[in-house]
Amino acid sequence: MIFAQAAKCLGNIGRSFSWAWLDTVCRYRRSKIGPIWETINILFLVGGMTVVSSAVIGGRPAQNLPYIGLGMITWTAISALVNDGTSTFLINASYITGSTMPIDLYIGRTVCKSFITFCHHIVLYVLALIFLPVYFGWLSLFSLVGLALLFINGYWMVGVLAFLSARFRDLEMIVRNLMQVAFFVTPIFWSHTLLVGARRAIVDWNPFFYFLELVRRPLLGELPPFYFYIVVLSMTALGYALLYLVYRRLRPYLPLFV
Amino acid sequence: MTHVRLAHVEVKIPIYEGAARRFIRLPSLSRARVGSADVTRSPGVLWVHALHDLTLSLAEGERVAVIGPNGAGKTTLLRVLAGIYPCSSGIRELSGSVGALLAANMALNSDATGYENIRLVSTLEGWPKDRLKDYIADIEEFTELGEYLGLPLRVYSAGMAARLSFAMATIRAPDILLIDENIGAGDAQFQEKARRRVDQFLGRVKIIVIASHSTELLRSICRKGLLLDGGKMEFFGALDQALALYARIGQRPVAAAR
Repeated sequence: MIFAQAAKCLGNIGRSFSWAWLDTVCRYRRSKIGPIWETINILFLVGGMTVVSSAVIGGRPAQNLPYIGLGMITWTAISALVNDGTSTFLINASYITGSTMPIDLYIGRTVCKSFITFCHHIVLYVLALIFLPVYFGWLSLFSLVGLALLFINGYWMVGVLAFLSARFRDLEMIVRNLMQVAFFVTPIFWSHTLLVGARRAIVDWNPFFYFLELVRRPLLGELPPFYFYIVVLSMTALGYALLYLVYRRLRPYLPLFV
Repeated sequence: MTHVRLAHVEVKIPIYEGAARRFIRLPSLSRARVGSADVTRSPGVLWVHALHDLTLSLAEGERVAVIGPNGAGKTTLLRVLAGIYPCSSGIRELSGSVGALLAANMALNSDATGYENIRLVSTLEGWPKDRLKDYIADIEEFTELGEYLGLPLRVYSAGMAARLSFAMATIRAPDILLIDENIGAGDAQFQEKARRRVDQFLGRVKIIVIASHSTELLRSICRKGLLLDGGKMEFFGALDQALALYARIGQRPVAAAR
C-alpha cells in the first residue's frame, strides 16, 4: 500500500519537473540574459564572501574561493528547499481547492525548481574547474551521492514543511528566521576546524552541516567520514517517517485550511 | 457502473484565526456571532457548517443543475463530490473517473502561452502522448481562440480562459463531470458550443453536475435540479420545479433566507 503510493510519487516527479521547467522558462522570457542572472547573482555573492572571509578569518582569497563557492552553492540549494517548502501549498492553494491533481505534484514542483536553480549555480563550479586549480579526480564522483541524498531529503523536508506551514501560518516566518541564523552557524564561509571543545556542538548537532559536507568535501578532494553518511541516511529514514505521519494526519483536511 | 452516493454528509470548515493570540489587536473574529446552525465554536476554532445532512444518489445518465443563492453550499458540494473536501461525517461513495472544472481558471502558469499550458496539463493529467495532436486540434477547434493560443494566458479575458479550461477539462470525457460556475463567463455562442459538446459526450460522460446562475445554460444541459439553501438540500427533482422554488427563495432577503 505504502509502496504503491511511493511508486506513484516517484512517477510524478517527472511531471513535476515539466511544471517547474515551464515556470523557469517563463521567468526568463522577459529578461534579456535570462538564466545568466541566476549564475551572476551567486558569482557576486561568492566573490564578496570570499574577500570578506579571507580578510576576517585569514587565508588567500584564491585558496578560499573553491571552498566558499561550493559552500554557497550547496547552501543556496538547501535553503531554497527549506524556505520554498514552507510556501509550497500556499502558493498552490487555488489548485489544491480547485482540482483533483495529486498532492505530490506540488511538492515535486518545489523540489524540481530548486534543483533547476542549483544547476544554474553549479555552472560556476565547472567554470572554476577550467580556469582555477581546483581538485578534480575520482573522489569528486562521491559528491554525486551527496547531491542525490540532499535532494532525496529535500523532498521530505518540502513535504513536511508544506503541510505544517499550511496549517500553522507562523511556521513560515519562524523557518525563514532560523535559516538566516543557520547560514552563520553552518560552516559555509568558515571552516569547521576553527571550532574546538564544547563549541563543536554547533556543527556536530547541525543537520545542514552533514548535507553540506557530503557534497562539498569530495569535490575538494577529501572523502567525508563514513559516519556522515550514516547520519544523513538516518535523517532520511526519520524524515520520510515524519512525512508519512504528517501526510496521514493532515492530507484529508488540507483543502479546508490551505 | 458509474454512480455517486452521498449519505448524511456534513461538511464543516475550520477557521483557525479564532485561535490566534496576538500582541496587536486585530479586528477580531471572537466577536463573530456564533451558535447559529451555520457557525459554531469549539475551543480555538470557528466551524462553518457548509453542508448539513445531505443525502443524494445519482445514477448513470443524470444531468444535474445545482442552484441556490450565494453561500448556499454549491461549490462545497462540488468539492465534496470531487473528493477535494473531506466529509466531517457521512459517507461519500463514487465509482468512475471524475473530471472537475471548479477553479475559475485552470491556467497552470499565466505567463505561459495557451499551447504551453495545454501541453503541461496533458503531462500532469497523463493524456496519452500519441493522441496529443488530436487533442490540441480539438481544443483549437472548440475554443476558436486562434492565435491567442500562442499568447500568454495573462492576456486572456475571463471568457477566453473559461473556453480553454472547459475544453481541457472535457477533452477526455470523464465518467463524472463536475462544473462550477465558470462556464457562465463564456458568451452566448460559447454556451451553445458547450451544450453541444456535452450532448456529444452524453454517450461517454455518464453523470454531469453543474452549478451555475445561468438559467438558460442549465435548462439547455440539465434535466434535474438540486436546490441548496443555507447548506441544506431543499429540493431535488425536475429542473423546472427546482427553478420555480428557487425563484420563491430569491424574493426573500439573503439574511432571512436561512
